[in-house]
Amino acid sequence: MTIADVVKILDGKLVAGDGTSPRAVGEVVANDLMSDVLLYDADDILLVTSLASDQAIRTAHIVGAMGVVVHNAKPLSETMLKVSEDLGIPLVSSPLSKYDACVRLHDAFLAEERG
Amino acid sequence: MAEYKPVILQGQKTNDDEILAKSPLDAKALGGDSSVIIMELLQRFKVRDVMKRQVITIPRRATLRQAQVLMRDNRISGVPVCEDGRLFGIVSVNDIIRGLDGGWMDDPCEKHMATNLVVLEAGMPIAFALRYFNNYTYGRFPVLDSNRKLVGIISQRDVMRALLYELSVEIRKLERKTSKSIAETSKEASENYFRREWAVVRNDLSRAGHAANDIKGILRERKIDRSIVRRIAVAAYELEINICIHSHGGVLVLMITNDSVTITAKDRGPGITDIEWACRDGTSTANDWIRSLGFGAGMGLSNSKRVADDFEIKSEIGKFTNVKCVFNLAPKKSEENSAS
Repeated sequence: MTIADVVKILDGKLVAGDGTSPRAVGEVVANDLMSDVLLYDADDILLVTSLASDQAIRTAHIVGAMGVVVHNAKPLSETMLKVSEDLGIPLVSSPLSKYDACVRLHDAFLAEERG
Repeated sequence: MAEYKPVILQGQKTNDDEILAKSPLDAKALGGDSSVIIMELLQRFKVRDVMKRQVITIPRRATLRQAQVLMRDNRISGVPVCEDGRLFGIVSVNDIIRGLDGGWMDDPCEKHMATNLVVLEAGMPIAFALRYFNNYTYGRFPVLDSNRKLVGIISQRDVMRALLYELSVEIRKLERKTSKSIAETSKEASENYFRREWAVVRNDLSRAGHAANDIKGILRERKIDRSIVRRIAVAAYELEINICIHSHGGVLVLMITNDSVTITAKDRGPGITDIEWACRDGTSTANDWIRSLGFGAGMGLSNSKRVADDFEIKSEIGKFTNVKCVFNLAPKKSEENSAS
């Protein structure tokens, strides 16, 4: 599941970063507390968060995340978009709630496993 | 006539030595051309690193005479007219001379101050400031932050002093390097020593994390193991956020040698009352504003301690907190033996 797939699955919109990246989602971390996110020791995290701030992107960069989804179509600042571009973190805005976004991503993972 | 009591705009407390000690050059650059060193300095130093943060200001209603007394007593040649951080103009020596000549020294400053101002932004590289000094005849420029608030003032002297200090440090390093015998320098020369500092400003969450992101980039360029880079970046980020949200400002320092990477966070207070308590998961003095930004869950110090090979914290109430996290790059001998 690449970032382009994530955009489709979550009825989202890529608002910053490279949407053609071949990196696949390793794990989904849904969290609004950045200190919690920093504890995850997994590769290619997709961060799903309601935190619409630069810090969500900076945290994603620190843990080597492959992308960030901000749910509930929260308004995103210009600086957040710029930080995403600068740090090379694709940023997706989705109208779904956190729960619905996670359910859809989970279903997509299961479908991928089934082939 | 009562003298006007100077208003000192309280920015972050400025310790000249500390500011000047920031951003030492990359050791790699020492072997390069001196112009490269200067260019690097001009780009790396920002206006905020060099400017004076304690600015003497005067309100609009104060008279030119009061401005004159203020300038005389503080031996300054211009005073910003400012209220609640908002800059309205500048009264210069020329305005005072005109006032004396024209007999309007008891007029309010707002009537005669210069309002067509040229200002610098705190985040601009020093190269910009030098260009401004060349392009305009002003001796100093007010410095504004991203919210257009007055946060400092910068003169050519401030810039030159900072550059001369940095260059003298580098020259001393070069001299030491060349004068030592091969035996004396063998250890130091063999170590790929690197040190860099970042200033962290209190409550400036728009920049918080910037240093940690830089640090991660530097470590990746040096091909340090991915999992170690991640641990170092986590500690750097947590400590940077801590300085930003809990202290009065400070610095984050990165030191790399052949064997280890050290992240040190030094701040200027208020200090920690109970260090043991502060290092526990979930304990925090953060307010709702900090929590709304995704931090303040009381995991900063415990996360940093968790990822580091060695962790040290010192604090004095009302003065400082220093946190040091050391990360081993080379496997310990016991680990090597057990592996073989």
